[in-house]
Amino acid sequence: MVVRIRLSRFGNKHQPFYNIVVAQARSARDSKPLEVIGTFNPVPQRPTNLSDEEARRARAYKEVSLDRSRAKYWIGVGAQPSDSVWRLMSLAGIVRESKKAGESKKATEEKAQE
Amino acid sequence: MAPRIQNQVVSNSLLPYLSPSSTTSSSTCLPRLPSTSSPSLAYRPRQSCRSLSSTVAPQTRRREEMFGWLHGPGARLKNHVPGQTNYLTSFKDKDGNLLSSTKIFPQNLMYRSESILSEDLRNEIYDRVVRQKRSVRAVSVELQVDMRRVAAVVRLVELENRMKEQDKPLALPYARAIHEMVPTSNYNKEYGSGRPHEGINDLPVHRLTNPQIFYPVSESRQFNRVDAGRVFSAAPALETSQVEENAADPYASVARITQNPGSIETVGKGDDEQQVLQPSDMRIPHPHLVAKERQNIINPNEFHKNREIYNERLAAEENATQERKLKAEKRREKQMLRVQPADSRFEFRIKDVVVSKETTGKDGRGARAPGRRYGVPSYDRKRGQVKIPTRVVV
Repeated sequence: MVVRIRLSRFGNKHQPFYNIVVAQARSARDSKPLEVIGTFNPVPQRPTNLSDEEARRARAYKEVSLDRSRAKYWIGVGAQPSDSVWRLMSLAGIVRESKKAGESKKATEEKAQE
Repeated sequence: MAPRIQNQVVSNSLLPYLSPSSTTSSSTCLPRLPSTSSPSLAYRPRQSCRSLSSTVAPQTRRREEMFGWLHGPGARLKNHVPGQTNYLTSFKDKDGNLLSSTKIFPQNLMYRSESILSEDLRNEIYDRVVRQKRSVRAVSVELQVDMRRVAAVVRLVELENRMKEQDKPLALPYARAIHEMVPTSNYNKEYGSGRPHEGINDLPVHRLTNPQIFYPVSESRQFNRVDAGRVFSAAPALETSQVEENAADPYASVARITQNPGSIETVGKGDDEQQVLQPSDMRIPHPHLVAKERQNIINPNEFHKNREIYNERLAAEENATQERKLKAEKRREKQMLRVQPADSRFEFRIKDVVVSKETTGKDGRGARAPGRRYGVPSYDRKRGQVKIPTRVVV
């Protein structure tokens, strides 16, 4: 059986909040996982305490918390991140950008040019 | 602010009933009372206005007393003097001038209405903090206004200015009415603010000092506020060398704590860990004022030098605060990675957290570990959960 790194939904109705968990692939989404290695809040937050000028330019942000060393360890022992977790981990620089090709986007583009 | 009632002749809505020409019967029913201070309001026999009836109409005496009061002692309250309160408890001095009082309720003389900031004082605070770039601490000391109030004034005036820019309506009549009803702390460009607006060095009672502790101390030992704080928080007594060091330079020991609050000793383990209660000398908002007074007593003749030392200490305090803030900001930024993907409207803030035996605890339910916990019921939606803050940490 495969160990996956995936999201597990918490929070209330219309207020999603996810734990980034390491769990057996066949276990239920919200069952007790092997380990919780982070969180992801998909609700965009408005930055506060800014001047008028800064507030106009500021982007809304999404909060991710992640234990990098644990994430690297689990990937090292063969855990498979789900698509959404892959995206978050690629933002954190733990895995390469594209999951499918087995190589980064740049590499595929370069190959296409050749 | 312009007074609402400019004309002193304008009086209240009872006026039509008082005029003799309003009704024919009232002139006979209500004898004109003398406009000077009325005689005692006790019952006195009077003529009935109905000649054939011997019974006295109900309420007539009360009405008479009421109008007696309105014409007599109450007449002075009909028009208020701008800039003074107009309470029932206000009194006259020897020359007959009306003196304002802070007691609103005649039956509850223990209640005093606290004064609010006048427009001038409010604008002065904003001017000093924003335009003259003075520190909040310095302005608070100069104008005798609490630091938190100074900060609030700056924010609110900023907000008001923004509303003015956006042409939003301001509740001016309301503000004017409030300023006329309650006492205000005034400010004059020439004379300053006169009386202090409020006590700026007040300290709320700390939770740890509630219990009454019987603590025997040997007569030969000096027992001061530092020791009392340690007893209240069940910390062991200080080393003798430390006590001597504190006694040698009291302000240095205060500054050590105020400029570096992280260095406060802690006692207890796990969830019961708490900081040792510090003496009030360190917890008050302006500890350097005490040091200044002490300096003035030691060197009463060197006014300028004392002032210099005071300013130096103030600057050192502010620098330390600024440095601390910067350091905390840097530490926060170090743990945070900001990513702005090209194909996303949002920024992603990725924070480093630690999942370990220390954070999750033995049973995996530790609150310091990331994520919502398993097997810990959330009483979020249960009845009776208070979600608004119930106490203010000062």
